Amino acid sequence: MSRTRVLLALALLVAGCSSPAPAAPGAGTPVSGGSLTFAVETEPITFNPHLYAQAKARLLVWNSFDALIAHDDKGGYVPWLATGYDVAADGLAYTFHLRTGVTFADGEKFDANAVKANLDQLFVTGYAPSVTAVQLRNFKDAQVVDPQTIVVHLKAPDVLVLDFFASPQGGQISPKSLREAKNLKAGGVDVVGTGPFVLDRYQPGQEVHYHRNPAYNWAPATAKHQGPAYLDEVTYRFLKESSVRVGALTSGQAQVVEGVPATDQDLISANSHLALNRQLNAGTAYSYYLNVTHAPFDDIRVRRAFQDAVDVDTVLKSVYRGTATRAWSVVGPASPFYDKSLEKAYGNDAAAANKLLDEAGWTQRDADGFRTKNGQRLTVRLVQSAPFVRDRRDILAQAVQAAVKQSAGIDLKVSLVDQATANQALQTNQYEVFDNSRLDTDAGTALNLLLASSGAINRGQYKDPHLDQLLVDGQSSTDLAKRTAVYAQVQKLTVVDQAVILPLYAPQDQVAATDSVGGTGFEVAAGVPASAYGLWVAK
Amino acid sequence: MLARRVGTAVVVLWVAATATYLALLAAPGSTVDTIIGDGADSPEIRAQIAREWDLDRSPLVQYAAYLGRLVRGDLGRSYLLQRPVSEVLGAQLGSTVQLAVAAATLGVLLSVVLALVTTGRGAWARRVSGTVELAFVSTPGFLVGMVLLNVFSFRWGLFPVAGDRGIAALVLPAVTLALPIAGLLTQVLREGLERALDEPFAVTARARGLRERAVVARHALRHALLPVVTLAGWVFGGLLGGAVIVEQVFGRPGLGQIAVTAVTSQDLPVVLAVVMLSAAVFVAVSTLADTLYAVVDPRLRTAVAA
Repeated sequence: MSRTRVLLALALLVAGCSSPAPAAPGAGTPVSGGSLTFAVETEPITFNPHLYAQAKARLLVWNSFDALIAHDDKGGYVPWLATGYDVAADGLAYTFHLRTGVTFADGEKFDANAVKANLDQLFVTGYAPSVTAVQLRNFKDAQVVDPQTIVVHLKAPDVLVLDFFASPQGGQISPKSLREAKNLKAGGVDVVGTGPFVLDRYQPGQEVHYHRNPAYNWAPATAKHQGPAYLDEVTYRFLKESSVRVGALTSGQAQVVEGVPATDQDLISANSHLALNRQLNAGTAYSYYLNVTHAPFDDIRVRRAFQDAVDVDTVLKSVYRGTATRAWSVVGPASPFYDKSLEKAYGNDAAAANKLLDEAGWTQRDADGFRTKNGQRLTVRLVQSAPFVRDRRDILAQAVQAAVKQSAGIDLKVSLVDQATANQALQTNQYEVFDNSRLDTDAGTALNLLLASSGAINRGQYKDPHLDQLLVDGQSSTDLAKRTAVYAQVQKLTVVDQAVILPLYAPQDQVAATDSVGGTGFEVAAGVPASAYGLWVAK
Repeated sequence: MLARRVGTAVVVLWVAATATYLALLAAPGSTVDTIIGDGADSPEIRAQIAREWDLDRSPLVQYAAYLGRLVRGDLGRSYLLQRPVSEVLGAQLGSTVQLAVAAATLGVLLSVVLALVTTGRGAWARRVSGTVELAFVSTPGFLVGMVLLNVFSFRWGLFPVAGDRGIAALVLPAVTLALPIAGLLTQVLREGLERALDEPFAVTARARGLRERAVVARHALRHALLPVVTLAGWVFGGLLGGAVIVEQVFGRPGLGQIAVTAVTSQDLPVVLAVVMLSAAVFVAVSTLADTLYAVVDPRLRTAVAA
C-alpha cells in the first residue's frame, strides 16, 4: 500500500533534481517579472473548473486552480495538492494525504474539509450531472480522517477516479467561494482556487486577466519549476479568427497564440522571430464510428470495405497539407495505451474493398457510378453538427466522400447542420456514420463512453459482452501493464476484427510565440497548451 | 398620441417575443439536447436538467411563465452561460451600442459629403462614385474587415488589432460597418438631390441668383434627406446583423457574438432577449425617424401640431 507513496516521493525528488526547462531560442534563462498577452481561440462558457467542458479552455483552468494529483507522461500520477495516495487492496477505497500550508487565494485554508466540500458541491442536484454520472459514477462517499487525510470510498473498483482527481473537474475551489459566489456555475472573479495565478478581471467577449499568486509554492512534480509563476500578469485575448490571431502575433500585439491552422503555419515558419510548436492531444483519435444497427453497416464486409476504400494518408495530405498525423487506432498515438501493432494492419486496399462489396451483394452500379443492391444505392450518411465542427472536418468529410466514391462506389452523404438537427438524426437513428474525437487524459474514460454497450455516446451501437468485460477490466485495475494489454485487445477487436471504427487523424494543438517568450509548452498527458505557470518574457 | 405610440411598441414587442418563441419551439431537437451539448448523456441527467430548467412543463405553461417574467423585467437565465441574461447582455450592450452609433454616424456623414461632392459633377464623376459605392455595398464585411486589419493594424500598426480599448480600437470596426451604409445612402441621397434640382423651386432659387452649391446645400438637401432618414432608421435597426461579422473579425465583445452563439446552441432565454432588444431599438429608432421628418420637412410639423 505504501509503495505508491514511496513512488510519489521519488517522483517529486527526481522532478526537483531535473535540469531547468530548455529555453526557447532568444528568451534565455527564466526570469521573473513582466507581463504578456496570449491570444486564444475560445472564450470559456464557464470559469468554474467543476463544470469545465471545453478542451480549448483547459489552459485557463490551471492558472487559478490545482488538483490533488497530476498526470505524468506514462499513464501514472505525481503529487500535487496531495502528497500521495493509498489504494485499498480491494480497490474500493482511495486515501489521499494532503499537503500542508496550502491556502486559497481568498485566504481560506486548504485541507480535507475543503476537499470534502468540493465533493459535496459536485453532488448538489443539478450542479454537475455529467461529472457525477461519468467521472464519479462509482463514488460512494468521502470521509475526513484528519485535516490532512481524506478517504474516498467507491461502489466498485474504478481506477478512473484517479483521473478525476487529476482533471479540471477535480480542481479545488475555495469553500468560501462555494458558499458565497454570486454565480458559482459561471465562475469568475469570486470563484477562487489555489493556483499560481488569480483571475482578477473578465470582460466577456474580449479578455480575461490574471495576476500572479505570490504565495504559490505547490506546483505538481511534473512542472518545470517550483515556487511562484514567473509572470506578474497575463492577459488572454479571445480572437476567434485564426488569421487575426496570427496577425496579432506577427504585429507584436500578442506574444503567444494558440490554434494555428495548417493554412497559417507557413506564415509563422517564415518569420525567424516566431516559433511554432505542435503537440498531439491525449484521448481518442478523430474517427468515424460505423452504425451497425441497420444496413449496410450491419454487414461486417461492408464495414471492412469502407475502411479499405479510404486511402487515409492521401486524404489527410490533401486537406491538411502534411500537418496532420494519421491515426491507426481509436486510441490516439500520444496515449500510453496506444496499440502500435495496428499500424498498417488494415486499410487502403481498394481491390479488397471492391471484392468485399461484390461478396456482400452490392454488385450493380447506377448511372452515377454508385453500387446498388436490389435497386437500392449503397448510401451511408454522416451528419455533422456545425457548431462542433473544427479542424476543417467538414472538408475532410468531403475528401473521404470523394475517395470512397472513386475507389469503391460508396455514396457517403455528408450534411452539415445545426446542433438540434444533428441531435435529431442521432435520436432517430437516421445515420450510418458518426464522427468524434475526445480529449481525455485517460483514454479509458473515452473508450467507456464510446464503446461500452451502455456508453453515452456509443453511436456505432456495436454491443458485445466480451468488449464490455474488457472495458470493466481496464477500469478496475491499477496495474498499468495489465491495463495496456486490455486496451490493446479493445483496439484490435473494434478497429481490425470488427471494423466498426475508421480512425482518421490524431488531433493536435499548436502554440506559436515570439522569441522573447520562454517556457511555452503543453500540458503533460493532455497534450493541450499549458497554463501560464511556466511562461516568462526575456528582459 | 404618446399613448398610441407606447401601445404600438408593446404590441410590436409582444409579437416579436411570441414569434421567436414559436420559431424556436418549431426548430428540431430539444432544449435538453442543447444543454447537454457534447457532454455526458443519460436518462437521469436528462431528467435533472429538465427539472432544473422547468422544461418538463408544457410549452404553453413555459410561454406564460416567460411572458410573466418579461413583464417583471426578468429575462431569465442563460442555459449555456449559467448566468442571468440581463447580466450577459448588460456586459456587452455598451460595446455594441458604441459600435452601432459610431458606424451609423460615420456612414451618414460620409454619404452626405460624398453626395454633395458628386452631385451635378457630370457623368464621369457619377460613374466613378457609383462604382465605388456599389463596391462598398457589395463587398462582404468579413473581407473589408480583414483587409483593413491587415493594412492598418498588422502592417502599419496604426490601430490595435481588436477589442474594446478606447477610440483607437473603435476606428476599424466602425469603418468596416460604415462603408456599406455610406454606399447605400449616398446613392439614395444623390438621386434625391438630382431630382430636387430639377424641381421648380430650384429653378426659382437659381433665378434669385443663388450659386449652384448653395442651391444644393440649402434647398435640395432638405428634400433629398427625407428618404435617407427613412432608410437610415432601417439601416440602424439592421446594424446588429453587420455587428455579428465585425465583432467576430475584430474580437470585439458585443451582442452580435452573443446572438450567434445563442442561436446555434438554442439558448432560448438569450435569443429571446436579443430579439426583444432589437425590436425595442427598432421601435425607438423609427419613432426618432418620424420625429426627424418633422424637423426636416416643415409641412409635416404643422400637420402634427394640428
